[in-house]
Amino acid sequence: MSSYSIGVSALATAQAGLLTTEHNISNVNTSGFHRQQTVQSANVPQYSGIGFLGQGVHVDTVKRIYDQMLDSQVQQAQTQSSYLDSYYAQIKQLDNMLADPNAGLSPALQEFFNGVHDVATNPASIPSRQAMLSGAQAMVARFQAINQRFTEIRDGVNSEIRSSVGVVNSYAKQIASLNQQIAIAQGAAGSQQPANDLLDQRDQLIGELNQIIKVSMVKQDDGSLNVFVGNGQSLVIGAQSFAMGAAPSLEDPERVEVGMSYGGSTILLPKGSLTGGTLGGLLAFRGETLDPAQNALGRVAIGLAQTFNDQHQLGMDLNGALGTNFFNAAAPKVINNTSNSPTSSLTVSFSNVSQMTTSDYKLTVGAGPVATLTRLSDNAVLFSGAALPQTVDGLTFSAMTAVAGDSFLIKPTTNGARDISVKLTDTSKIAAAAPIKTNAMLSNTGSGAISAGSVNLPPPPNANLQDNVTIAFIDATHFSVTDNTTATVLAASVVYNPAAGASLTYNGWTAQLTGAPATGDTFTVGTNIGGVADNRNALLLAGLQTQNTLAGNTTSYQGAYSQLVGLVGNKTHEVEVTSKAQASLVSQTQQAQQSMSGVNLDEEAANLLRYQQAYQAAGKMIQIATTLFDTLLSLGR
Amino acid sequence: MRISTNTIYDMGVAGMQQATSDMVKTQQQIAAGRRILTPSDDPVASARVLEVTQSQTLNLQYDTNIRSATSSLSMEDSILGSVSELIIGVRTEALTAGDSTLTDQARAGIAAGLRGSYQELLGLANSTDGNGQYLFSGYNGATRPFADASLGNVVYSGDQGQRLNQISPSRQLAVSDSGTDIFQRIKNGNGTIVSAAAAGNGGTGIIDLATVTNMADANLRQPVSIVFNNPPTTFNVTGAGTGNPVNVAYSSGSAISYNGWSMSIKGAPQAGDTFTVQPSSNVDIFKTLGDLITQLEKPIQGGTATTTQLGNSISTAIQNFDQALTNVLTVRASVGTRMNEVDAVKITGADLQLQYQQTLSGLQDLDYTKAITDLTRQKATLEAAQQSFAKVQGLSLFNYIT
Repeated sequence: MSSYSIGVSALATAQAGLLTTEHNISNVNTSGFHRQQTVQSANVPQYSGIGFLGQGVHVDTVKRIYDQMLDSQVQQAQTQSSYLDSYYAQIKQLDNMLADPNAGLSPALQEFFNGVHDVATNPASIPSRQAMLSGAQAMVARFQAINQRFTEIRDGVNSEIRSSVGVVNSYAKQIASLNQQIAIAQGAAGSQQPANDLLDQRDQLIGELNQIIKVSMVKQDDGSLNVFVGNGQSLVIGAQSFAMGAAPSLEDPERVEVGMSYGGSTILLPKGSLTGGTLGGLLAFRGETLDPAQNALGRVAIGLAQTFNDQHQLGMDLNGALGTNFFNAAAPKVINNTSNSPTSSLTVSFSNVSQMTTSDYKLTVGAGPVATLTRLSDNAVLFSGAALPQTVDGLTFSAMTAVAGDSFLIKPTTNGARDISVKLTDTSKIAAAAPIKTNAMLSNTGSGAISAGSVNLPPPPNANLQDNVTIAFIDATHFSVTDNTTATVLAASVVYNPAAGASLTYNGWTAQLTGAPATGDTFTVGTNIGGVADNRNALLLAGLQTQNTLAGNTTSYQGAYSQLVGLVGNKTHEVEVTSKAQASLVSQTQQAQQSMSGVNLDEEAANLLRYQQAYQAAGKMIQIATTLFDTLLSLGR
Repeated sequence: MRISTNTIYDMGVAGMQQATSDMVKTQQQIAAGRRILTPSDDPVASARVLEVTQSQTLNLQYDTNIRSATSSLSMEDSILGSVSELIIGVRTEALTAGDSTLTDQARAGIAAGLRGSYQELLGLANSTDGNGQYLFSGYNGATRPFADASLGNVVYSGDQGQRLNQISPSRQLAVSDSGTDIFQRIKNGNGTIVSAAAAGNGGTGIIDLATVTNMADANLRQPVSIVFNNPPTTFNVTGAGTGNPVNVAYSSGSAISYNGWSMSIKGAPQAGDTFTVQPSSNVDIFKTLGDLITQLEKPIQGGTATTTQLGNSISTAIQNFDQALTNVLTVRASVGTRMNEVDAVKITGADLQLQYQQTLSGLQDLDYTKAITDLTRQKATLEAAQQSFAKVQGLSLFNYIT
């Protein structure tokens, strides 16, 4: 009797081993599959007078070779890796755009200033003036084209955020459904046997979900997994899943943010709470690189337009009129928070473009109303609980209509590159000349000389700038200054030191007197109408190219643009290197995990042979048992 | 260590991908000839390349400006050359006209020649450049600077501006000079004081050029007049610093010195004849030439002018021509200095251009030897990876189970 039962138990156990081996071989390429093993043990022995007689073998369970630590290491590494990959894929577009030295802003900027130099060389030449205008238009078009690319990338990011959220929701549903199946399956088995392949499927889904967004998990007693995102927002609880949603930010409706959807409305998650995965990469790219880069480009555009305009207004055009604005420049963008009172408004303007930063700002309103301004790049509070007007970072916050609790997002430079345009269309309106000129009378007998004179910044120029002014020497060491146009004595007697000379500033101009004038010597300053060959203002305009006018007077237009290229290049480089390192970490953790749980076909081939032989041996056992029984039967013949 | 079958495949593929990606990168670098393909390859160098490129472009622009400056200055130089030759010519003519044996007709002939020179000088002063802009009108490039109201009476309509040209980052060079400075700001006499005989003098007294003996004399520039008494053997002197002496004895050709200057009067002045010493003032070249022509056209034989007046006029004219020539030559020397400076800056610019080129090359150009060596190595790596993968993946226990 027991020979048979032992043989059958051996036969069944070997068969289970063969089945499991075949299952492993057939799933060698199934992703997320963990190899399985039968766990067998000897049956309870039967006591007899001669001791314990073995009762054969049985299979305890089919075990999944699974190490939670190894698997979660792979998931952690992968979520970080896909974060970096997604960041890299986006920033690489910027990097490629800025890559070609002939396609960036630099050549257009240089062409434009070459045009300014040409006008300085030939101030009266209409072709030179036309070349300068055309250069300006080409440069403006380049600004707009680069900005357009930024906008396209931003639109791409927004739509990827929306589609990623959809994928997250789909995974959440599948995980919830698997939770349910696992609970049922493991419950039905009664003996709490693990539902290995369902667990593999769920682990695989969680791994894939982790590649989109970093999640945390808590295992429940019934075998289901609760999944959380962000700072603990539930995505899956047992068999129930919750939906994430993408919605416009309250602060900036053009910006798509991620939140949890409850009953049709989306509650946005706090900034920075979503990390890891492709979604985290997209959000980080937008906040850390795309926005600052677009702002940096905008700052170059606004800085260029404003400083050029300022100098241009101090010049005189071919028709003898004072210069006007050369460029149209963008105004700071102010965005009302969606929850603000509908009548709230805030007025912001540029006071000093050299102080502009590339940051955005947030202004919150307190009772009064008073305002508190935070610079978002470093969260510095620039003024707190103050009444307007206020001037900081080159911005003037002049007035607001608001109630306590309102807030405004101020993006000073974001539209800079989009909105710059050339205002002048008439070549004769280019103000290449200075509006004033100086003159030393021919009747002078002394050796005194007067410099050509310059117009003082900032615009608008003094109303009396072009008045006819006489500087008359009362004696060798004293002079008087008279405005003949308004018949005003500007200075009755100024002490003059012939060794040191003197710098005269009246009516918005400055000129230098040098040498030793004699009594009665006279100098005049007056309008330069007809000065078509004068290029003094064009030279000053051309000089702006290399002047440090931006970032607190520390860098030129080109320098500020190079900073942008450096910023993008550095960040791309950083992400590329980190991403490579992370990829090798993923590969290492995967190897470790696969080394434990992966299928090795050679091993399975050996197992096939092993269980085949065990099966054959068990069969032999039954055959022998039969022969033994036959022996007994033959005794009676 | 256990190795799963998938790991063998994954690692083999990863190795080949890495080798391929390295090789393609090197290949792209070779094809572009640049070490830096995108800013991320070397962010610092990329930003630097942009700045150096701007400096290089700007330097090329300065070179264009320099060519323009050279052309303007050469043109001015050549015109000033013509002007100085013209002044030397009219001065010689003036000397010739001083010959007292000449007839009225001969002098009129010289005057006619001088009228031609006068027009030629006016033409030179109104020269235009290639763009039709007047060279000597200051900022008023479109305004004809010198207009001839009547002989010797020329009105300047330009201004005193100098056109500038940016020839290097720090140098704005004047590429024009105002007509005033060339043709008008000419001090008469010796540049400090001028001696003259009054136009109504009846005697034959001819005044010499006054010379300065003491520049430091406080009264050097005080106007002084010398009036001959009756009989004209003595004269009275009036003027600050002279002590106003009366009845000073006159001797033809002997020195008369006051206030740090010295001069002499030759010939026989009449009672009431007046001679003056004044501070120098500006007399434009057109007036000097016009006055000389007017004087030469007055007939002496006809009696409207005297030989003495002619002598005094020619003496004044020659003084003024000398001053004018000095003035033109001074301006021309300054133009020459500027042209030298332009040449020096041009050479510096060419050197800089080479340096920028080298800097750029160092920043972004590819080391071909290294790149091609790399490519060969990477190709070998890829082939090795492929071959070893093919060998390893062929191994399986299943091959031996029959």
